[in-house]
Amino acid sequence: MSARDEILRAVREARMATFGRSALPGLPTLPKTRADDDDARDVLVERFTAATRAAAAQVDHCQRAQVDALVRSWFPQATQMFSMVSDVPGNVELPSDPHVLRALDLFVCEGEIGVAENGAIWLPTSRLGMRAALVLAHDVVVLLSRHAIVRDLHAAYSAVDVSAEAFGVFLAGPSKTADIEQSLVIGAHGACTTRVVLLDD
Amino acid sequence: MAPRGDHAARALPLLDARGAVDHAGAAARFNADAERTGWHDGALWFVREKRDRAAASVPEWETLRDLASAIKTHTLAHLDEYLERFERAATARGIVVHWARDAEEHNRIVHAILAERGVRRVVKSKSMLTEECGLNPYLNARGIEVIDTDLGERIVQLRHEPPSHIVMPAIHLKKEEIGETFHEVMGTPAGLSDPDLLTAAARAQLREHFLGADAAMTGVNFGIAETGGIVVCTNEGNADLGTALAPVHIASMGIEKLIPRAEDLGVFLRLLARSATGQASTVYASHMHAPRPGQALHVVLVDNGRSEQLGRADFWGSLKCIRCAACLNTCPVYRRSGGYSYGATVSGPIGAVLTPGRDLQRYASLPFASTLCGSCTAVCPVKVDLDTQLYKWRQQVAAAGLVPARKAWGMRRLGALLADAQLVQLAGAVVRTALRALPSGVARRLAGGWGRTRTLPTAPKGSFRDWYRSNRPRS
Repeated sequence: MSARDEILRAVREARMATFGRSALPGLPTLPKTRADDDDARDVLVERFTAATRAAAAQVDHCQRAQVDALVRSWFPQATQMFSMVSDVPGNVELPSDPHVLRALDLFVCEGEIGVAENGAIWLPTSRLGMRAALVLAHDVVVLLSRHAIVRDLHAAYSAVDVSAEAFGVFLAGPSKTADIEQSLVIGAHGACTTRVVLLDD
Repeated sequence: MAPRGDHAARALPLLDARGAVDHAGAAARFNADAERTGWHDGALWFVREKRDRAAASVPEWETLRDLASAIKTHTLAHLDEYLERFERAATARGIVVHWARDAEEHNRIVHAILAERGVRRVVKSKSMLTEECGLNPYLNARGIEVIDTDLGERIVQLRHEPPSHIVMPAIHLKKEEIGETFHEVMGTPAGLSDPDLLTAAARAQLREHFLGADAAMTGVNFGIAETGGIVVCTNEGNADLGTALAPVHIASMGIEKLIPRAEDLGVFLRLLARSATGQASTVYASHMHAPRPGQALHVVLVDNGRSEQLGRADFWGSLKCIRCAACLNTCPVYRRSGGYSYGATVSGPIGAVLTPGRDLQRYASLPFASTLCGSCTAVCPVKVDLDTQLYKWRQQVAAAGLVPARKAWGMRRLGALLADAQLVQLAGAVVRTALRALPSGVARRLAGGWGRTRTLPTAPKGSFRDWYRSNRPRS
């Protein structure tokens, strides 16, 4: 018997021994995020901002037309800049080999949805271009429409189909570690800074 | 190379004459350095307090725990069906699914994938399953270098030690010791112990490893049965760097990691990071549903004793575990005895219920590494009844005749004493008299383990029974 069939048989016998054949425990219905006063746009933006800052990212806001100047003012030294946002043009083409991005200074992308409770932003492959850019770049800027913020993760999973693309990530802040004596260090293996720009228009 | 130095030697399991893990002996060794024990205790309590604040910030926390437990219970009750569904969905998306009955088969499968491509160097992000399977030494012996990339795991790898904690592998080490290791192995300046600078040094070196790796390995936090995707959570970004660059990604996954639906992640990801480190979310929660163009993505489903545990009426609930380590951080015994005292890949309360089923004789002492205070059960985000399971393993250890003779004799005597009202009264009188009459040093010695680090109480005048008799309201 193959390993597959043997494991499946062992699992079937074991779960029948434990749970019996009938009246198996059902799959619960998940809570739907209630729409109430907390969903006022300003409240969501405020919560998202606080959660993102708690994750050690900086948060700013501006009109879409201003974002290019803003990003350039933050990173005047960035030599290699890869951008997936047409409003903020970069100078590195999307390569076919991710290793080409090894010396990337700055990566700019736009999130699909933001989560107010934890500051996470959903970034699928189509928004990343190449997912290595997110972790190879020294600095990452993520744009997000202030209208794309939802209350919690339940609402986020209702709003996006995470299986629609080969890869997608909920990103919350720059990479970090506390593996040495619980001291928080920003900039572990991925980006050393993450800046979120909320677009007002 | 064996673990180096006095402290590093303590990474090895302490075994008794019969080859069984001696938890109490190892804990006593750990406690010999009182200052260090206090420091370790405090470091973990700090994380426990962060967890408390994060949990308290979510009003529906208890509802989430109920849901998480119910979803996992349902999944385990239909596990064979969900495994098949996962395999079908993953295969349809171009993911290659493998099945491994045990550690040896897992290692063989991984090696075959690597050997076929002529892989020399693998970068690996944190995976307790590959630790459980002993993958690193298996691959090393076949000429393949494995570089652990989680900072904590890298630190213990450079020291030739296993992780002492499932989420914070180097929690037992002081920054000066890490600085010394980095100085010896990586050539950082002698005496450097600043966490920022040490992390920067590791980042620079590991970045080259990421860029040069032939293959990337990861564990799996959640496998989604309906979509065939896997979710990997890290703060450091190491799983993403490895898998975004290397031409092949192998993910090792215990069969209990499945959840039915993608939206179930809303429940589990709300609980996981808050329970583990007190963060609202990990920095990266990466969902992988297909290989990158030109990349191969393999998922190895591993049983290695899990189906057996599923069939144990008293212990199947341990398979709900999502490896957040909240039970380790809160456990008064773990905090004061260290991860190595358990002599098992997974330590703490969850390790003490998962491990005895693998080899009851070897791990007979682990269910006793607990005060049965139940703090583990109270913080568990998926409601594993850890203290009940610890108690039930004790019954099995006793039934198998594996309780040390002295302890078994003592427990029998104590049982006989407590069953006899007159003897209990007599014993109480003897102890009260002894507490009054003996010098405290002598009384403490007679009190055994309990007296070693405690001030004994002042003896009351009489027993509660006497007090009640003279004070009870007369009707």
